[in-house]
Amino acid sequence: MDSAPAKRRKLDHTQDGADAALESAASTGISRSRAFVLEADELLDSVRLDYAVALDGADDLLHRIKGAVEGIKARDPLPVADAAAKLEKKHKITVPFPDPRPRENSNYKVAFAKPAQFNVVGSYVSKTMIKSQKRHAVDMLIVLPEEILQEKDYLDLRYFYKRAYYLAVVASALRKEFGSEAHLSFENLNGNPLCPVLNIQPKGPKEDNKALLDYRIRIIPCAPDGFFPKTKLHLGATLVRKGGDVATNAAVVEPTPFYNSTLVAESSFLPYLKVLKQAEKRCAAFKNACILGRIWLQQRGFGGDVAQGGFGHFEWAVLLALLLQGGESKGHAALSASLSATQLFKALVQFLSVTNFAEKPCVFGPGDAHLEAHLESGPVLYDSARQLNIAFKMGLWSASSLHQHAKWTRSLLANSTADQFNPTFIMKTDVLSHSFDLVARLNHPDGAAKGASSDFQGQTWNLGSKVYRVLNRALRDKEMGERARLIHIQIPASPSWSLADKPKTTGKAPLEIGILFDPANMSRTVDRGPSAGASAEEKEECEKFRRFWGDKAELRRFEGDAIRETLLWTSTTSFDLCEEILRYILGLHLRVGHLHDEIIVYGNSLPALLSLKPADTALFNAAKKALGTFERDIRALDDLPLRVRQIAPVCPELRLASVKPPVLGPSRSAPQPFECVISFEASGKWPESLAAIQRTKIAFLLMIGSLLEASKPGEIKALVGLEDARFETENLAFLDVLYESGPAFRLRIHSDLEEVLLERQVKDKTAEQYLRQRATTMLATFRRLYTNLPLHNQYISTCATRFPALAPTIRLVKHWFNAHKLSYHFTDEFIELAVLNVFLSPYPWDAPSSPSTGFTRTLLFLAHWDWRSEPLIVDTGGDMPAADQASIATRLEAWRKIDPNMNHTVLFAATVQEPSGVAWTTHDGQAKPSKVVATRMTALAKSASRLIREAGVELNCKRLFVPALAEYDVLIHLNSKVAKSALKTYASIDPADEADAATESVGRSKFKNLDERTGQDPLPLARHPADLLLAQLSAAYDGPLVFFRGSADDNTIGAIWNPQIQRRAFRINLPASYKPAVAGQKRAKDEAEDGEQDELVEVNREAILAEIARIGGDLVEKIDVKGA
Amino acid sequence: MPSAPPTIGDFSILPVSIPPLPSFPRNAVHYLYVRRNAPKMPTAADARSLFVTNVPVDSTEAHLRALFASLVGAGRFESAAFEDERKYAHSQSQSPIDAAQPAHAARLLKAHGKKRKREDEEAERAREEAAARLPSIWTRPLRRSGSTAVVLLADEKSVEQVLKAIGKANKTKKYPTWGGDNLPGGRAPPLGSLWLKSHNRLSFPDKKTLQASVDAFSALFARREQEAAEIAKRLRNEPDEDGFVTVTRGGRAAPASRNEAEEARRKMVEKQEKKKEELTNFYRFQLRERKKEEQAELLKRFDDDRKKLAAMRVKRGKFVPEA
Repeated sequence: MDSAPAKRRKLDHTQDGADAALESAASTGISRSRAFVLEADELLDSVRLDYAVALDGADDLLHRIKGAVEGIKARDPLPVADAAAKLEKKHKITVPFPDPRPRENSNYKVAFAKPAQFNVVGSYVSKTMIKSQKRHAVDMLIVLPEEILQEKDYLDLRYFYKRAYYLAVVASALRKEFGSEAHLSFENLNGNPLCPVLNIQPKGPKEDNKALLDYRIRIIPCAPDGFFPKTKLHLGATLVRKGGDVATNAAVVEPTPFYNSTLVAESSFLPYLKVLKQAEKRCAAFKNACILGRIWLQQRGFGGDVAQGGFGHFEWAVLLALLLQGGESKGHAALSASLSATQLFKALVQFLSVTNFAEKPCVFGPGDAHLEAHLESGPVLYDSARQLNIAFKMGLWSASSLHQHAKWTRSLLANSTADQFNPTFIMKTDVLSHSFDLVARLNHPDGAAKGASSDFQGQTWNLGSKVYRVLNRALRDKEMGERARLIHIQIPASPSWSLADKPKTTGKAPLEIGILFDPANMSRTVDRGPSAGASAEEKEECEKFRRFWGDKAELRRFEGDAIRETLLWTSTTSFDLCEEILRYILGLHLRVGHLHDEIIVYGNSLPALLSLKPADTALFNAAKKALGTFERDIRALDDLPLRVRQIAPVCPELRLASVKPPVLGPSRSAPQPFECVISFEASGKWPESLAAIQRTKIAFLLMIGSLLEASKPGEIKALVGLEDARFETENLAFLDVLYESGPAFRLRIHSDLEEVLLERQVKDKTAEQYLRQRATTMLATFRRLYTNLPLHNQYISTCATRFPALAPTIRLVKHWFNAHKLSYHFTDEFIELAVLNVFLSPYPWDAPSSPSTGFTRTLLFLAHWDWRSEPLIVDTGGDMPAADQASIATRLEAWRKIDPNMNHTVLFAATVQEPSGVAWTTHDGQAKPSKVVATRMTALAKSASRLIREAGVELNCKRLFVPALAEYDVLIHLNSKVAKSALKTYASIDPADEADAATESVGRSKFKNLDERTGQDPLPLARHPADLLLAQLSAAYDGPLVFFRGSADDNTIGAIWNPQIQRRAFRINLPASYKPAVAGQKRAKDEAEDGEQDELVEVNREAILAEIARIGGDLVEKIDVKGA
Repeated sequence: MPSAPPTIGDFSILPVSIPPLPSFPRNAVHYLYVRRNAPKMPTAADARSLFVTNVPVDSTEAHLRALFASLVGAGRFESAAFEDERKYAHSQSQSPIDAAQPAHAARLLKAHGKKRKREDEEAERAREEAAARLPSIWTRPLRRSGSTAVVLLADEKSVEQVLKAIGKANKTKKYPTWGGDNLPGGRAPPLGSLWLKSHNRLSFPDKKTLQASVDAFSALFARREQEAAEIAKRLRNEPDEDGFVTVTRGGRAAPASRNEAEEARRKMVEKQEKKKEELTNFYRFQLRERKKEEQAELLKRFDDDRKKLAAMRVKRGKFVPEA
C-alpha cells in the first residue's frame, strides 16, 4: 500500500470545505430544529411584500394628505354642540362622538388648529406587512396641537370629544381634496369605541397592476406625548365622574381602567415608535421575528382589534422589544439581541406559554402593588416606563386563550419528531368547529348588560365579559375539577360607517361562546362542592357556593360521612351536561336563555347522527368481559396437548371501534362471532410442512370444540368452519364457539412454525418466482393476522381509555367512510390509525376532547395529507426514536422509486409495532385502497373540510354524509328483504328445500311446531352474504369494474368502469368480457390495408351487467346504468 | 344490432343471446371465441377438442353442454375444462396428496424416487386424494371475466360440425341462448341468495366428515414421511452414478431439527456480535472515525433537509399561510 503521508494530507485538506458547511449547519441551530429554521426562512421570503410595487403611490398619497390637512384654516373655539351642528350643516359630516355624546348644553369648546406633528407609524414604516394579511393599512398619526387642548381634558371624555371634532374637520378637508378618488369612512381604531379614525381607501385603477395591494390609509389623531399627567391616569383612577343619567350614577366610584389606558395609549404612539425603532436597530432579526409572530397570531385568529382578542402584531412587537431591553428580575435583557428570528419567535412563544396575563400581572420595570387588583377588570401586561397596560384591549378570555395557544405551540416545538412548521404557521386554527367542543350563540336582548360597567369597551364586550366570568366560575372550578380547558368568547367586529352617519356599534349581533372540554371532568354528573362544616370559614364557603349556584345547590352525605354542598345534573353525555350547566347558570345570573332561541347550542349534531350513546361503552365492556369468560373456559380445559399462551382479540368490536356496538345476549338472528387468535406455548410437535400444519390446526380446532362442548354441556356450541382458501397451505379453518347466552367467538390458531416455514420459502432462492411471490403474500397475511392485529387491538384499546373521545371519533369517521362507500377499499385498522394520529399528534391543538372535534380534525388531516410523499407515522407509545421515523420515511421513498405509478403501494401507515407501513394498506399483494380510491378519499375529505369551514357552526352535519350516487357508472341495488333472509342458514336444512317450501305451499310452515326451523339456531355467518357477493364479483371483474360499498347493511353497490380497460386488440387472455368492436372494424380494415392486422374488441358492458344480474339472482333487485 | 364479423384472428365468433332478467331487463349478446385446440404441449385429445375464450363468468359444464347441444344436437359434448381448474391441476399445492409431502421428502423423491406410473397406483392415488380433500364450500364456482375453457367433443367430426354451425348461426342471426329454458332444470345449482346461503351452510361441514378427511391426510402424511425417511436412509450408503454419496439428514447422531440448527446459528451470531461490541471504542482511531462519521451524518441530514425544502418549494403553495 502506498498510503503516502502527502496523500493523506491532501485528503484532510478537502475536509476543510465540509467543515465550513458543518459550521453553517451548526450555526442555524441544533439538528432537530434545522428543518424548522429553513422552512421559516422560506416562509419569510414568500410572505414578504415588495413595498415598492405593492404600495406604489402610498407615499405620494401621504404627502397629499399632509398638505391638505396643513392647508385647513384654524377655527375658533365654539361650544361643542354648536360646532358639531355647524359641521353637519355645512359638510354633511356627523362628528363621530363616542357614546355618550356630549350633552347639548355642555359648555366646553372645541377648536381646530394646525396639527403639531405628522408621523407615519406601524408596520408600514417597519416594513413588517405580509402578503397574507387581511387588510393592509398605512397608519398616519396627526398629533393634536397643545393649544386646543387643556390639561383637564382627560376627565369625562372631553379629550375624546375634541379629538372626534378634530377628526371630523380633517375628514371634511380630505373629502374636498380627494373627491371621488378615494372612499372615506370612519371606523373605530382596533374596535375601541372611544377612538374613531378616518379610513381613506384609494379607488385607483387596480386592474392594470395586479401587484398593487388593496391598501388603505388610516388617519389617527392623537394627543401630544406627555401632555396628560400620567400619574393621574393610573389604572385605578376614576376619570368619568359625571354620570350623565341615572343609570350610571351608581357607578360613580368605579374605576375606569379601559378609559384610562386608552388615554395613555393616545399619547404613547410616538414613545412606542421609538422603542420599536431602537429594537430594530439593536437586533437584526427583530423584524423577521415580528413577521413570524404576526403570522402565528393571524393563523390563530388573534389581532389588535378588541373583537380579535386585542393582542396583535403591535402588542407582539412591543412585548418582544421590551424583552430585548429588560424583563429579567435585575433589569437585564431577557433575550439576547444576537438571536435569530426563529429563536426569538420560539422564545416569545415560550414566554407567553408560561405567563398568563389573566392570572398574574406581567410587569416590565418597577412593579406596582395595586396592579394585582386590576386582574378583576382584565389582564395586565404593564410597561412601567410608559405607564401603559399593553393588554388593555384584551379580555380575560383572550389572555387565557393566548396562553393556551402558546402552550400548545410550545409542546409542538418541543416535539422533535413532529412536523413543526405546518401547524405553527400554515394551518388556520380559528375555525370554531375545529377548535371547540361546544359552540353556543347568545342572542342577547337589549339591556342584558346594561349597567354592567361604567367603562367604555362597549355593550357587547361588557356582556361577553360577564358571561365569561360566570362560565369561568361554573366550568373551571378548580376545587370540583375543571370541566372546561378553555372558554372562548367571540365578540362581533365593529363595522366602519360613512361620514354622514352616526357611529355604528356592533348592535345586537350575537355573541359566540366556544367551550373546550376536559373530557375526564366534563362527563361528571355530580359536583361536590365545599363540605358543610361548623367552622365559620366553611360556612362562608358554603354561603358563597350557594349564592353562585342558586337553588341547584343541595346538601348531600357522601362516603366517609362527609356532608357537602352538591350539584346534581340530569344529563348523561359530556355535551348535554355542558349545555345544561350553561343554560342554567347563564339564566340564573344574566337572565338570558330562558327563551330557547336566546341561546343556541351547536356541536352535537354529529354524534346524534350516529346516536352514539354513553350506554354503548357498557356494551363494549360487556363484550370484553365475555371474552374474559371465554378465555377462562379455554384455559380450564385440561386435555389440551399444548398450554395456551394467549387468546388475543382481533376485531373492532373488542377494541371499542366498531360503528355499531356489539350485539350480546340471545337474539334470533345469526350470531356474529368476535374474531380472536389463540397461540400456544412453543412446541416442536408441529410438522415441518405448511399443509400439514394447516391440517393439524383443523384437528386441533375440532378437539378444542368438542372439549368445550363437553366441559359445559348445553351452554356452548362449537362449530368448525372452513375458510374460503385457495391453497392447502393457507389457513383452512376456524372454530366458532357459540354461547347459549349470546356472545360468539371465532378462533384461529397461531403456529409459530408456520411463520418460520414461510420465511424460509420467501428466502429460498431456488424456488420458482411465483411460489416465492405467493409465500410473500401469505407471510404478509400471516403477520397481519397473528402479529399485527393483536398488537393493534391492544394499543387502540389502551388509547381509547386514555382518550375518551377516541372511540366515538373512530366510529364517526368509519361512518363517514361507510356513507361515501369507501369502506370496501379501506381496512378498519387504517381508519383507526388515521384517527389515532389526530389524537397523538394533535398540533396545533391539544388532543380532541369530543367526537365532533375529533371528526372534523380527522377530515382536516385526511384533506391535508399528501400521501404521495408523506408516510403516516403513528407513534403509539410516544417514544419512537427519530431514527426509526426517518427510516420509515426512507422506506416510503424507496417504494415510490420502485413503484412510481403506485400500483402496489399507495397509502403508507406505519407504527412502532408495524414499521413496514403496508400491513393495513395492502391486501393479497394489492394496494388497498388503490390510487384512484385514495385520491377520491382525499377529494371527499377536502370538500367536506371546505364545507365545515364555510358553513361554520350552523352546518347541517347530514350534508357531510350524503353519498354522491350520481358519480357512479353503475348502481347495483340489492333486495333488502332477500339480503336479510340470506343472513339465516340452518345446519339441517338445504337452502334449496327451504326456498321450495317457501314458494310451493305454505303447508309445511303453516303449523309453527312442524316447521323444521323452529327450535333451531341459525348457523353463524362465515361471512356476510352481501360482502361475499361483492368479494366474488370483484374477483371475477377485477379488471373492468371498481366496486364501491359502505357497511354491511349498505344495499347499494356503486361501480365505475375502469377507464384503463377500453377498446384493445384481440388476444387470448382478455381482462374482461369483450365484444368485437363494430366501428373499430372499419378502421381495422383500413389498417389491414396498411399491412397491419389489428382486430379490435371493446368491453361488452351489457353482457357483463347481465352476468352480474344472473350471479346476484334474487339478491339483485335492479341494476341502474348511468345515463340510461 | 349491427352484424358482427364471423371471425376474429383465427377464432370463430359465437354470439350467444342472453335472456333479460327482471333486475336487468335488456337483451344482451355475449360473444364466445372458438377455435380448434392447439396447446403448446399437444395431447391425444387435441383433435376432438375446442378452445373457447371469453366464457361467461357463470359457466358450468351444464351450460356449455346445453349450448353445444343447441348448435349440433345432443350427444356430441363430452366435457369441459375451465381455465381456473386447469391451472389448479398444475399447481402442486392444491392437491392434498402433494401437499402432504414433507418438503424435504419432495426434494428427495424428485431426485431419487421411482416413477409411479402403474395404473392401479394412479387409481389408489385418486382414492386417497378424494379421502383427504376437504369438503367443497361452494356449490359452483365463478369464472374470471374473459377467461378460457377447453371443450372436449365426442369425435373429430363434431369439431367440424360445431365450427360450421357457428358460421351458420352468424349468417342466420339465430343465436343460441345462454342458460334459461335451454338448460335442463337442476343441472346447475342456482346462483343468487341460495348460492350464498348454501355456501354458508357448506362452510360448516359435519364434524365427522372433517375429522375423517383430516385423519386421511394425517395417515398419508405419516406414510410419506416414512417413505422419505426410508429413501434417505437408503441413499446414505448409495453412491449415485457419478460416485457421490448424498449427505442426508439422520446420520449417526439423532436427526437435528432445522429449528435447533437455526437456534444454534443465532447463538453464534450473538456471540460474535458481543465480541465485536467489546472491541468498539477500544482504540483511539475508532473514536476518531466515529466522530467523523457523525459529522458526515449531520452534514448529510442538513443536505437532506435542504433538498426536501427544495422539493417543497417545487410544490407551490406550501409556504403560504392558509387564508
